[in-house]
Amino acid sequence: MIETIQLSKRFKEKTVVEGVDLYLDKGESVGLLGPNGAGKSTTISIISSLLKPTTGDVKLDGESVIKNPGDIRKVLGVVPQEIALYQELTAYENLKFFGRIYRVPKSQLESRIQTTLELVGLKDRQKDLIKTFSGGMKRRINIASALLHHPKILILDEPTVGIDPQSRNYILEMIRKLNEQEGTTVLYTSHYMEEVEQLCDRVYIMDHGKVIASGSQSELLSILSNEDTMKVQLNQMSNELVKAILEIDVVRHVEETGDSIKIIAKKSSNIISNLVKLADQQNIKIMNFQMENPSLEDVFLHLTGRTLRD
Amino acid sequence: MLTFLIKDLLLFWRDRKEVVTVIILPLVIVVVLSISMSGIFEENQSENYDLSLSVVVEDDQSEAIEEFKASVSQSEQIANAMKQNVIAGVEKAPPVESLMQFLNSPELEDWITVNTMSESEAAESVEKGDHHAMLVIPEGYTSQLLSNIYLDQGTEPALKFSAEETAVEVDMVHDVIQGFLDQMNLQYAVSTSGGEVDMNQVQLPEGGTETLADDQSFSLNIDQYFTLSMGVLFVLFMASTVASRTGVEKREHTFNRITLTNTPALHFLFGKTCATFILAWLQILLIFIGSHLILGTFSDRSFTFWIGMVFVSSVFCFAVAGMSSIMTSISLRLKNPEAADGIFMSIIMLFGTIGGSFIPIYVLPDWLQQIGEFTPNGLTLAVLIEWFQFEDLSTLWMPSIALIGFTLILIFVSIILHPKKGEIS
Ligand SMILES: Nc1ncnc2c1ncn2[C@@H]1O[C@H](COP(=O)(O)OP(=O)(O)OP(=O)(O)O)[C@@H](O)[C@H]1O
Ligand SMILES: [Mg+2]
Repeated sequence: MIETIQLSKRFKEKTVVEGVDLYLDKGESVGLLGPNGAGKSTTISIISSLLKPTTGDVKLDGESVIKNPGDIRKVLGVVPQEIALYQELTAYENLKFFGRIYRVPKSQLESRIQTTLELVGLKDRQKDLIKTFSGGMKRRINIASALLHHPKILILDEPTVGIDPQSRNYILEMIRKLNEQEGTTVLYTSHYMEEVEQLCDRVYIMDHGKVIASGSQSELLSILSNEDTMKVQLNQMSNELVKAILEIDVVRHVEETGDSIKIIAKKSSNIISNLVKLADQQNIKIMNFQMENPSLEDVFLHLTGRTLRD
Repeated sequence: MLTFLIKDLLLFWRDRKEVVTVIILPLVIVVVLSISMSGIFEENQSENYDLSLSVVVEDDQSEAIEEFKASVSQSEQIANAMKQNVIAGVEKAPPVESLMQFLNSPELEDWITVNTMSESEAAESVEKGDHHAMLVIPEGYTSQLLSNIYLDQGTEPALKFSAEETAVEVDMVHDVIQGFLDQMNLQYAVSTSGGEVDMNQVQLPEGGTETLADDQSFSLNIDQYFTLSMGVLFVLFMASTVASRTGVEKREHTFNRITLTNTPALHFLFGKTCATFILAWLQILLIFIGSHLILGTFSDRSFTFWIGMVFVSSVFCFAVAGMSSIMTSISLRLKNPEAADGIFMSIIMLFGTIGGSFIPIYVLPDWLQQIGEFTPNGLTLAVLIEWFQFEDLSTLWMPSIALIGFTLILIFVSIILHPKKGEIS
């Protein structure tokens, strides 16, 4: 349905998106995962025809969007990362304004506004000014404004930043419903891997403007198939020990988390005995040892040596 | 398109701070300024208006009237039936006596003190500065005046009016006397049916001062001037007030959302332009009407006068809407809307200054006054003042056409500048 071909964007000297190829099939739910500044929003702006790429192209059903942005705008609903609403208007007035200029038929507009408000759970607050809303409520109206015209493709740019877990689950559930029940194609951007894990069929992982990995979750996790992730709880933390562990040749990454350390290492038989030996040398006791199932977070860690929220 | 207009009006209305600064504040400023300034002005008036006038009567009125009676009886120019009437009229109100009575009348006594004396005394006192001005009624004045009016003989006699210094109050006395003479002539003329009276014949002698005030006009006082100039100025601000919302819409990304709806780009521009027109129109009329209700600024003015005011205001609001339109287009083009707002504000301040909205135009040098009339606000202010004074319809057309032309050009340019539909930045 949508396809980007070698998208690049340069602002002055700085390249923020570089050679991005991605595609969205009809009815798919695709995640775009990456840390702050990875270039996710820039990529999305280009796809939704708000920004011109420096090079490359975006195609909708084979037609270039750059030359004729009208086509994609018709089928697209965009939830921007920012709250793009009139703060001085009420929720209802915002929806009515955007609904009208989205050319929702007059006869349907009112009922669509009400169903959408119900969907985001703010029907009883519709008469209130946006500026009186909490962050989470604004987010929800921000999403609602992109749904009124029943878009075939929904692009959401970190729609859950800065909101409480309850609202977040609510929003995720809502998007899942749209995807599964209405067949809406979803491109979901986030730097929370749990959200993407929960919602998306396929994931692109971006860093420094490039797609560094892509595929279904299991495909991505299989990158880690010859690695083990383990969590070791110690009776005391020691920098010496962490250093020593890193010296072990099969160890790729060590991360301190409270009183325990997380170790990613190549599958090998001698890692555990090595660990025990090292701890012994420093008089540190291993309280608990646990092998973990890898997550997308670990995949990112594996690929970049950093965590998503670094 | 209406959707955008409603949105813009609603946004304006919701911003109470803006409503107050844009709609209420100008009215308050006009009222406060007028009241405080007219206080100062009035003090000056009572001080300056104490004018002493030395009057020299060289004319022998009673002798002249006797002669006149004789001439009338023999005259063939006046119908016999009217002769009695004419003589009775002149006897009832002999010219010089009437003038003296007028100068000593209660209305004038507050600010004119009349002293009768000989010519040499008068000349000396004026020179010394004891008296502000002198009026000489020359020998044979009555006789010449009457025969000129009724018998069509000789020339119009002249009064000699002179003053050491040219001052506003001297001019005013001069005007007052002239006005009286005009009236007197008219009254005499009425007494002879068919007697043709040319009012312009009544002239004051040279050597006095030039006549400053125009005949048959309303002069502009301080609160009237403030109402007109502040009204025009505040409406001018409306152009940037509305256009600057464009920057907010870009910053808050609502403009992006609008772009994504694929709405024809000009709808946005149309909303801004129309909203400016409507708001500007409400604002200027509110200032005029409010000022009238509070200060009585335009009391005793005709319905036609108000129609003219509304007409000129509307044309001006149209021009302001045009300015807002081009500002909107430019701020959409510019990367940095805040910088655009700054530039627009400066332009408006510049227009306001050279258009005479901050300081009365007449204190500016001539060349600047002329440039001032090339700003929409300067031109409007000039037209409003002229309309206020003369209510002459013919003064409205050219400026209105100029303003409308100016606006159409602005709107045309802003349409060209406006990012087209589908254009990606
Ligand atoms: N208009 C611009 N001019 C210059 N640099 C820009 C511009 N827009 C974005 N950038 C830069 O491009 C990089 C990528 O920004 P982008 O917003 O796409 O990241 P992101 O992945 O969405 O990050 P986040 O998770 O914080 O939203 C950043 O370093 C940012 O500073
Ligand atoms: Mg972003």
